[in-house]
Amino acid sequence: MSALLPALHSIVGVDACLSSPEELFVYECDGLTLHSGRPLAVVLPRSRDEVQQVVRACREHGVPFVPRGAGTGLSGGALADGGVVIECSRLNRIIEVNAEDRYAIVEPGVVNADLSKATASAGLFYAPDPSSQQVCTIGGNVAENSGGPHTLKYGTTSDHVLALELVLPSGDVVELGSTAGWAAGFDLVGAVVGSEGTLGIVTRATVKLEALPERVETLLAIFPDVVAACHSVGEIIESGLVPAALEIIDQRTIAAVEASVYRAGLPTDAGAVLLVELDGPAVILPDQVARIREIAARAGASRVDIAQDDDERQRMWRARKGAFGAMGRLAPDLYVHDAVVPGSALPEVLAAVCAIGDRYGLTLSNVFHAGDGNLHPNISFDRRDADELARVIAAGGEILQVCVDAGGVITGEHGIGSEKRDFMGLLFSDADLDAMRRLHDAFNPDGLCNPGKVLPTTRFCVESNPKARGYDRVPLDG
Amino acid sequence: MTSRDLARYRDLLGDDGVEEHAALALAGSEFGVTLRPGDGAALAAVLAQLGADGRSALVLGGGSRVESGNALRGADVLLATDRLTGMIEFEAAEGVCRVAAGTALDELRALVNAAGWEIPLDPPGARTTVGGALAAAAIGPRALCHGLPRRAVLGLEVALASGERTHCGGRVVKNVTGFDMGKLYTGSFGVLGVIESAWLRLHPLPQRRRCFEARVSDPEAALRSGLAASRRNAASVVALRLPAPNAGAPTVCVEFAGDDRSVDRDADWLCSEWRAEEAPADLVDRVRELQAEFPGEGGLRFRIAVLPSRAPALHARLRAAGAETLAYPGLNVVYAGFRLPQHEAEDAASAAFECALRAAAAGGGHAICERAPGWAKAGREMFGDVAAQAGLFAKLKQGFDPQGVLNPGLFAGGL
Repeated sequence: MSALLPALHSIVGVDACLSSPEELFVYECDGLTLHSGRPLAVVLPRSRDEVQQVVRACREHGVPFVPRGAGTGLSGGALADGGVVIECSRLNRIIEVNAEDRYAIVEPGVVNADLSKATASAGLFYAPDPSSQQVCTIGGNVAENSGGPHTLKYGTTSDHVLALELVLPSGDVVELGSTAGWAAGFDLVGAVVGSEGTLGIVTRATVKLEALPERVETLLAIFPDVVAACHSVGEIIESGLVPAALEIIDQRTIAAVEASVYRAGLPTDAGAVLLVELDGPAVILPDQVARIREIAARAGASRVDIAQDDDERQRMWRARKGAFGAMGRLAPDLYVHDAVVPGSALPEVLAAVCAIGDRYGLTLSNVFHAGDGNLHPNISFDRRDADELARVIAAGGEILQVCVDAGGVITGEHGIGSEKRDFMGLLFSDADLDAMRRLHDAFNPDGLCNPGKVLPTTRFCVESNPKARGYDRVPLDG
Repeated sequence: MTSRDLARYRDLLGDDGVEEHAALALAGSEFGVTLRPGDGAALAAVLAQLGADGRSALVLGGGSRVESGNALRGADVLLATDRLTGMIEFEAAEGVCRVAAGTALDELRALVNAAGWEIPLDPPGARTTVGGALAAAAIGPRALCHGLPRRAVLGLEVALASGERTHCGGRVVKNVTGFDMGKLYTGSFGVLGVIESAWLRLHPLPQRRRCFEARVSDPEAALRSGLAASRRNAASVVALRLPAPNAGAPTVCVEFAGDDRSVDRDADWLCSEWRAEEAPADLVDRVRELQAEFPGEGGLRFRIAVLPSRAPALHARLRAAGAETLAYPGLNVVYAGFRLPQHEAEDAASAAFECALRAAAAGGGHAICERAPGWAKAGREMFGDVAAQAGLFAKLKQGFDPQGVLNPGLFAGGL
């Protein structure tokens, strides 16, 4: 390290290289505060060439390196215990917006929401909209294949990335994909998106832009309980309607939101609310609104409100997007889980998830992308309470098992990171994981680029070895 | 293969799974034996045996795309998926299904249509199978509304060259659990593994479809209008056929699909823009057939990706070189067809390759040669310019199929 630091200074400058304990403290974890580890240094490169030189310097000294966007990831993907964090916030230029051909070329540090703001005047937007879109970056979205509420209609990040410039773990630069939409050979753009920064460091992304819809209708259906809301979602999907978003907020989340600055006027006596967004040509929406109303009423909705103007629409969305922030009122820590189940299993799985929370005596609330079957059971807790922490971890494992047993998977948009790598065995055989490792090794044979993520480090039973999941580092000094 | 070798494969596959036949010429090689595993376990076992024997195989779905790819480097047997057939699971309430790789798309389409869904794959070829369509990432005219095949895949079961059976993804519609192996296998031409079955995301059947056809005099105006049509909400097919110069007028084919009101609104718009006439419902089938046969027996067909703003110049350049073109404007896809003269065909092929590659580079995209007579493949790369990614491609092939059991030589870079 003593030799690496001067090398990093000479590449990015002293002001763009952080190495004191107080500077490094904020880089000890990402949005998953359960896992932490102090990096050796953080560099903030301003160009692809600087990224390339940093990678080569790290290689020369045998030090791991980890790309990082805004640090909003929720699975520990940007954890860099003992390594060098390559922080991409200064690579933040929107290089080109091409309205005619409907694409944009951006550096990885561009904030997600800023891209849509920059393209709105051309009647275009960037569709993936994770809840953290006001701060999270395109580079981080590419790494995690981020989704968001509008994934249901528009797809995830992978559906919107046309081409990438990538600094490989070797330090070489490669261009993948094509602005025109497809390239010959293996779909390496598809392989890199969602690879959680383990296959290289994206230094430029060409993304697809969508036309802003002619009209948007937002509805809020009030249900006596969350299971009824889930049934209505199943009926909507079965009917062949494709809403832009179908989001459920449960009673506990409603209470937290209404007691917070994100207050949206939701009825606090409701068991759950379903937020439905429809978009498209004005001529077709009235019929779709009527069908949604009919389905919701049949499933037991006591009322269906429709936003009368954009202010009201924003208010309805404030409840959804502010939910995680509002939960900060419930406890000092929040564990945002992420799993996906088949739509038909949603009611039963949700009931089982709530029962697990109750059995462990935890404060568990749900706000989730119901149309995709993408659950987010959120556990509010205090990590200074060792007993509660142990119950949080145990409940989390049981929740994942319930989802897998129902035919689901252990993450829909947060990624595996360090958080779930040793749960991969719940879904994949050794042969499945070996195939993934072959892909990994083609790019990153010695594992210096973002080590310890995605692929399990052990093949033994996680239940018998909780330390294998990284929880040995969990309890921090209060 | 010796009779002892054949006996070994019969032990694995049963008598029905091993067929000796008269020499069959495919992909520039001759085959006297076809292996037909009846299930995934047999598929994996036969791959392991081929590896142990130091043999290689050409993987065959419906045979619709056997002309695609580079010249095969002498495979020993055909490995057919035609006994891996049928719907395995169909969740009609959710619009997802799991289907065996050797199932014909037509058969699958009939099953899901009856339940109100459609498969988001419509490449040409009556015998095209699910596995073949995914392995080739083959598209048809409705890719405009369906998206590329990579988007249809939720999960895959894949038998690797090592004989290991693997799966990736799953049946849910949103999933970032581990690397997205489905993207890697889709379009890999079977050189990393053989698809055994696939979970597909289905699309709701549209309430209504309406087709239109128009003849236009000006190719550039046709391209502009075609792009505008493809960006309409209800656009499900927009195809432009631009014959070679002095060989007829450009033709535009459009299908709108979806909600009644949306379809009618876009149809009104189209009729006000062009003098389009409503066409019979089989218009899209005819477009698909045209794509399949384009540009005719013995010719060269290139698939070129091009940015919309550069499409007029690309077409002009190709047509000036004597090519006819078929374009899907909303997909950024142009098929360029070169008919080769009987005399000096080699020189004509060289000129066509040079023209297509240069036109693609100028158009901001990429060109691959989808169809070529066997002789024209010799010494040429059918996948265009892949030099920049060749190193990564080779490492992947080495990692997944180090012995070269699967489709040797067929893929980009001669892998």
